[in-house]
Amino acid sequence: MTQITTNSSNQDKIRFYNVIVAGAGNGGLVAAATLARKGVKVLLLEQHNLPGGFASSFVRGRFEFETSLHELCSMGTSDEKEGVRRIFEDQLNIEASFIQVPEAYRVIIPEEELDVIIPFGVQEFTDAVEKAVPGSKKSVKNFWQLVEDIHNAIIYVGRSQGKVDRIEMLRNHANFIKTGGYAVDEVLDALKMPLKAQRIVTAYWCYLGIPTSRLSFTIFAGMLRTYIKGGGWVPRYRSHGFTTALDKRIRELGGEIEYNTRIEKILVKDGKITGVGTSKGEIIRTNHVIANISPTAVYNKIIYPQTEVPEIAYKLVNARTHGITLLVVYLGLDKSAEELGITDYSYFIYNKGSSDALYEEGTKELTKSHPAQATVCLNKAIPDCSPPGTSILYITTLFRPETWANVKVEDYFDLKTELATQLIDDFEQATNITIRNSIEEIEVATPITFAHYTKVYNGVIYGYENDVWDSVVNRLQSMNHEKYIDGLEFCGGFAEQGHGYSSSLDSGRLAALVTLQKLIESEEIGEIRK
Amino acid sequence: MRINIKGNIRDILKFTKLIPERIERIQNASSDKITSDPINELAFKLHPDTQHLMISDIFNETKSTKTFKLVPDLDSNTRHVAYFRAGQYLSLKVDVIKGKDTYRITRPYSISSSPFEALKGFYEITIKKTEGGFLSEFAWQNWKVGTKIEASDPQGFFYYDPIRDKPSIIGLGGGSGITPFRSMAREITSGKMNANLTLFYGSSDEEDIIFFEEFSALAKNYPEKLKIINVLSCEIVTLAGCLEGFITADIIQTYADVNESSIFICGPQAMYNFLKTEIDSLNLPTKRIRQEMFGEIKNITQCEGFPLDKAENIYTIKVKMGKQYLEVPANATETVLVALERAKLAPPSRCRSGECGWCRSRLISGDIFISPESDGRRIADKKFGYFHPCSSYPISNLEIEVPTEF
Repeated sequence: MTQITTNSSNQDKIRFYNVIVAGAGNGGLVAAATLARKGVKVLLLEQHNLPGGFASSFVRGRFEFETSLHELCSMGTSDEKEGVRRIFEDQLNIEASFIQVPEAYRVIIPEEELDVIIPFGVQEFTDAVEKAVPGSKKSVKNFWQLVEDIHNAIIYVGRSQGKVDRIEMLRNHANFIKTGGYAVDEVLDALKMPLKAQRIVTAYWCYLGIPTSRLSFTIFAGMLRTYIKGGGWVPRYRSHGFTTALDKRIRELGGEIEYNTRIEKILVKDGKITGVGTSKGEIIRTNHVIANISPTAVYNKIIYPQTEVPEIAYKLVNARTHGITLLVVYLGLDKSAEELGITDYSYFIYNKGSSDALYEEGTKELTKSHPAQATVCLNKAIPDCSPPGTSILYITTLFRPETWANVKVEDYFDLKTELATQLIDDFEQATNITIRNSIEEIEVATPITFAHYTKVYNGVIYGYENDVWDSVVNRLQSMNHEKYIDGLEFCGGFAEQGHGYSSSLDSGRLAALVTLQKLIESEEIGEIRK
Repeated sequence: MRINIKGNIRDILKFTKLIPERIERIQNASSDKITSDPINELAFKLHPDTQHLMISDIFNETKSTKTFKLVPDLDSNTRHVAYFRAGQYLSLKVDVIKGKDTYRITRPYSISSSPFEALKGFYEITIKKTEGGFLSEFAWQNWKVGTKIEASDPQGFFYYDPIRDKPSIIGLGGGSGITPFRSMAREITSGKMNANLTLFYGSSDEEDIIFFEEFSALAKNYPEKLKIINVLSCEIVTLAGCLEGFITADIIQTYADVNESSIFICGPQAMYNFLKTEIDSLNLPTKRIRQEMFGEIKNITQCEGFPLDKAENIYTIKVKMGKQYLEVPANATETVLVALERAKLAPPSRCRSGECGWCRSRLISGDIFISPESDGRRIADKKFGYFHPCSSYPISNLEIEVPTEF
């Protein structure tokens, strides 16, 4: 017979944790693991039944698809490790392996007669641009010099934890300062980079989701450097592989995880966190919450009572621009990449050269042609990611979330089909590769799908936009002044470091370290595990 | 290299103004609360956590088959039934009372009404009563107009996709496996779905043919869009136009162009086993054949690789579920999910076929048997010891961690 071994009085006891992490996305998982490793009593709550948030996978027929990742940056190599690899291998020691993708990208802009494959490596990158746009070499070389200067400055700012010494900055990081107030286009123009070369160099703009006329140069430089120098990487067993490895590690380190449990309330009294209220009706006490949830949702919906939210918190949210979201067409093809003639891993196909035009026309209309797509063939990085004689292709395009706000449920499935058809046609036309009659499995994820699985505010995937004034650098410098609830930290794509896998993973580490420091200062914890 | 963008002083000034500009922008921003989240609202309309429904009508289809019409339970917060694609199913969550005991179980049922009818506010599900059927026997006795039923949002991947599939659909249905085809037939003949359907429908007896009149009438009125070929396995066939025997490759090829069609199959397990050889002989690519899941494998001992020496064994499963720790007995020939439900644990589940992953749980120790055709696990889940209790059979004592229902 069934035996219940827990006694009921124990069950009714109010639970207490040093830290509660809200959400098991990239940031929440790293935050919980980092704290557990330090011996902190931590509980990670996730509303879905899986870890990962956007970093997940799903199975259709014979295929397992990556949910959102194209390639991870900030990995570096085993010899020269960068942030993400240091977190995974040195700090958390998780069981996950990664494979480098073969080339940075192939950018196709028919309107400007561009079709260029860009390899990894600064020298190789520079040569490829020069070959495509003769005479561009000098400007591209100067660009890379600038990127290196900015990288050194970012390291300094990152280590300063919000306390930047301005004199030191001016003395040692002048190029960082002088470009810091500008968008990508302004700096590339000043470098006298030919426009056609700019199109190639900035092709990754869609990974940051904001046109180059507004995108902070600093942020673009930082991202491009880590991709081109350190390579792009994909997890061997999809993102679900490393998120499940993180889940395992958290438990091994003594952390606790509960799925299917949504945090409905973050309880605040006199400006201080006192606990959380869950969808299971439980109140759990804590003085520290790390929210892998947007400030938008936390301040507007989750803090309880709402009178504890100061006016300035609403202002901060309203001053910013919520980023874009995605539509992804996942294709399981019944021919190999070789049979189909797919030669490259990553394709950026832009039916217009200007990122402004792509952003304006592409992301704000549902019915018009969607002129930007980023397409990946996973088998070109992991040949056996699908059964022999098959392949996996993802086509992704960008949308402003509000574009989808007035979709009627009865039009929803037809709209998915219409948009997917058009993206497939565009891919075939730009590459001369026929995929249409090899489709064995197809799934289409929309902003609504992403909202459904993660509950993220308005289906936004890219956090807040990295305009010049709200760039990651400015956020990090201001972070100590922009905390309005004692005991509350943010991680994930909406936190200071911005969206993207590597940023959100590192944001979890940062939030954990800040929280740890507070736990020590307030003497809430004694001994810390080294 | 020293860069100048717009001049040394201007560049430095621009940088030094960044933080003051940030502060100013924040100060000048609106302090209004954001109260709307239209994308999540739409997501919730399409994928509600739970649909609270109520039986509004019951139709007797055959001696052993009833259709239940389901509408929103207005005592709950459900106001609409979620839109879906013809062919999808609902996972019902039902408290089945047997004697003094109440068991909370789930059962997946294809929606037999069409998506355009969901927009009018209802679903229909059609249930065949089976001998010893845990839910169907209970439903027969207890479900009346006014009975409240909890359901998932529409689930599953057994639907026509205009990008992937040929617009000529060959349906192979058996018994209550006609239900998703009825949804498709209604959608097609009402002009909402741009495809045509040739349905081969196998029944064991004339009086067991479900929706006979409805399909005959639709086929007569829409000959371009719908054909129905009833195939009867009984000895004497009197109904005009019905074929004798089973659905074979020959029969399919006589009435349809298999090379220009997509084949959709839904029926009992026995039919799948029979059809496998027939379909294989057609030599079609995998993409042309889609098969609905059929729930738990009825006789797991017949699956290749199942350790027959363990078939009679009863094991103990140590379960951690939320804050509870329990020990549950389990038969080797029943799924772990059934053992948990029998112990009244009500773990999450939906498809009961290994496909959807909603019951995903952690195997801490012990051995399980999973038939390859119902192993829908992710690669990493296999590596890290996660499993789907709905398609896993215990072949040793187990220790597992199961999530609690949302």
